[in-house]
Amino acid sequence: MVVVRRRWFQAPWEFRESALFTAVSVIAGFVIQAAASGQGIAMPHLPYNAIALLFLAVLVISTGLAFRNTPAVKWFGGIPLGLCLILAIAVLSLIGGIIPQQSAAKESLPTLLGLNQIFSSWPFAVTVLLFLANLGISLSWKLIPFKLQNLQFILFHAGFWIALSCAIFGSSDLQRLVVPINVGKANNLGYTMESDTPQQLPLSIFLHDFSLEEYPPQLLLYDPHNDKLMMNKAQAILEVRKGTTASWQGIEVLVLDYLPYALPGKDGVPQSADRKTGIPFAKVRIITPSSQRDAWISTGSPMLKPDAAQLDGFYLIMMPGTPKSFRSAVTIQDEKGHEKVANLEVNHPVSFMGWKLYQMGYDEKAGRWSKLSLIEMIHDPWLPAVYLGFFMIMAGNILFFWNGIKRTEVVK
Amino acid sequence: MNFNTAAELAIVCWAIGSLLSLLANRTPALKLPAFLLSIAGTLIMTGFIAFYWSALDRPPLRTLGETRLWYAALIPLVGFLVEYRWKIGWLKYYCMALATFFLSINMLHPEVFDKTLMPALQSPWFIPHVVVYLVGYVLLAASSVTALHNVYLQVRKKENSTGESVSHFLALLGFVFLSFGLIFGALWAKEAWGHYWTWDPKETWAFLSWLAYLGYLHAFRYKIDRSKLQWYLALAFVVLLVCWFGVNYLPSAQNSVHTYTQS
Ligand code: HEM
Repeated sequence: MVVVRRRWFQAPWEFRESALFTAVSVIAGFVIQAAASGQGIAMPHLPYNAIALLFLAVLVISTGLAFRNTPAVKWFGGIPLGLCLILAIAVLSLIGGIIPQQSAAKESLPTLLGLNQIFSSWPFAVTVLLFLANLGISLSWKLIPFKLQNLQFILFHAGFWIALSCAIFGSSDLQRLVVPINVGKANNLGYTMESDTPQQLPLSIFLHDFSLEEYPPQLLLYDPHNDKLMMNKAQAILEVRKGTTASWQGIEVLVLDYLPYALPGKDGVPQSADRKTGIPFAKVRIITPSSQRDAWISTGSPMLKPDAAQLDGFYLIMMPGTPKSFRSAVTIQDEKGHEKVANLEVNHPVSFMGWKLYQMGYDEKAGRWSKLSLIEMIHDPWLPAVYLGFFMIMAGNILFFWNGIKRTEVVK
Repeated sequence: MNFNTAAELAIVCWAIGSLLSLLANRTPALKLPAFLLSIAGTLIMTGFIAFYWSALDRPPLRTLGETRLWYAALIPLVGFLVEYRWKIGWLKYYCMALATFFLSINMLHPEVFDKTLMPALQSPWFIPHVVVYLVGYVLLAASSVTALHNVYLQVRKKENSTGESVSHFLALLGFVFLSFGLIFGALWAKEAWGHYWTWDPKETWAFLSWLAYLGYLHAFRYKIDRSKLQWYLALAFVVLLVCWFGVNYLPSAQNSVHTYTQS
């Protein structure tokens, strides 16, 4: 076989030209970034971003269709350029996946090039724009004329085009506000991640109650000399319950009694109390080779200091369990008088008048006794479009799974 | 049931199964017992996962060690399926060896038995998201091993077109699962954290591994010499490995919300 080597820029263009073009584009992106002295890009808001996106879509599709047989456009919508752009996006993402992404205070070369905020930098934007153009042109050829056998291709590529473009063009319309509220109070001010000045909300939230449930507390042996926790024999996290046993070298511990909510009584013996004020107490029997005794230990709370049992220079302590769930009982009200009573919990956001409300956090120092709840409010008008893209990709995926199996049967 | 007993039993099953299977080349009567023993190893691990799940009161999918249990149960299955479908016998040995390796790590580094599941993980998305990813990784691991074997055969100049279809097909299936995993993850993140994509390091690396296989599929479509792509497939798995546990060690991971618990 005679291999004829293609010279640079001799038609049809392939990988070499694509790689060069991609490299030049990414470098140009970095130059713009540096020229803009590290400033990222500001995307316009609705409706201008929607108009810009529509314009891009029409431009790309009509270019693809009008110049279907022009070598330059054929190259521009082809796999070689697509692969180079995928590689470029991968390399830029790799930078973002290694260098911590956070705003830095001082000026330096990485911040000037936007390496610490790569996903909103010019080189990333330039690459994604070219990617959308390349993908859109290849899509235009499969869309028209439409053939059923192209359905899988269309679902994948159009789905990705829609999801990516709407996520990027719509990012300016995404509003995320954190609303801190104290129990028994209402708030209609929210904070963005970027600034300390509060913003007026289109609604107000009243917090009736904040409640937090914990996993059972844990039994630990603390070594104060080396400031570390000792691993027990079973290598297990020891949940405190009546009957829990534990052993460390030479020390045996048995939980004789466990009161999840209790307060110290007059004679020092803990008495059961209600959920709001009580803290976990456990009566433990400690057996060492030389002795045996019983003691009450507790986790403590912001109001009560914890009780630990001292033994042979170690401390047997009870750690409060980690949070299992926390929720806020709220009433949400907008300016027109619409009202909603709801329970906000992690993984269970609530929708209200185009906003989604999330249980975000609480005063972690106070833990179960927190009187503060942090609620996040999110408004993302572009979400349905992004989800449409996701569902198209998933539909394409199902077809791909199915066809893939059939196709390889032929290969055999 | 104790983990060490289950793991040792499974490894013994796989070892004897592999041995009988090798001998079956001469004595075909050994084929069935060899197969039954190999499958028994996987069944033991499956049984252990079921037991562990009910003992923990939560799906054992939270820590790296727990995911290794699933790999140990699932990877041999890929080997058996490939043998059944393409009559390629050698992959199952690699798969059982890999499963043994995963179990050995767990025996050397016993897990701290922790029942708690933080609130963000208490979601109906948790299981589908992680299981889809597990299956994807298992398929891509098998694809990578097959590709490596293909490279070896190329070096020894052996004809091997079935092997190349197998690595391709496994990569294709793996890509399908990765895509589902990525999208399920995004849909879940929206429910739990408020936004579907935040370029968290784990997300970034999941995206990178998806891109690696996207690149492969397009290169394959473009009729790039298949035998060269075997190298690519063999190495693409490295990106997955970084995504799976390497992320925890990267400087960018300090503020990641979903690295696995270390233990
Ligand atoms: C960079 C832009 C892209 C270009 C230029 C491009 C182009 C192509 C072309 C020309 C094909 C072959 C179609 C055929 O022969 O019928 C193809 C296949 C495919 N593309 Fe893309 N594509 C791009 C991006 C994507 C993206 C982002 C996805 C995923 C969402 C994707 C998923 C697929 C899949 C799954 C196949 C089928 C592969 C196979 O049959 O083995 N592509 N693409």
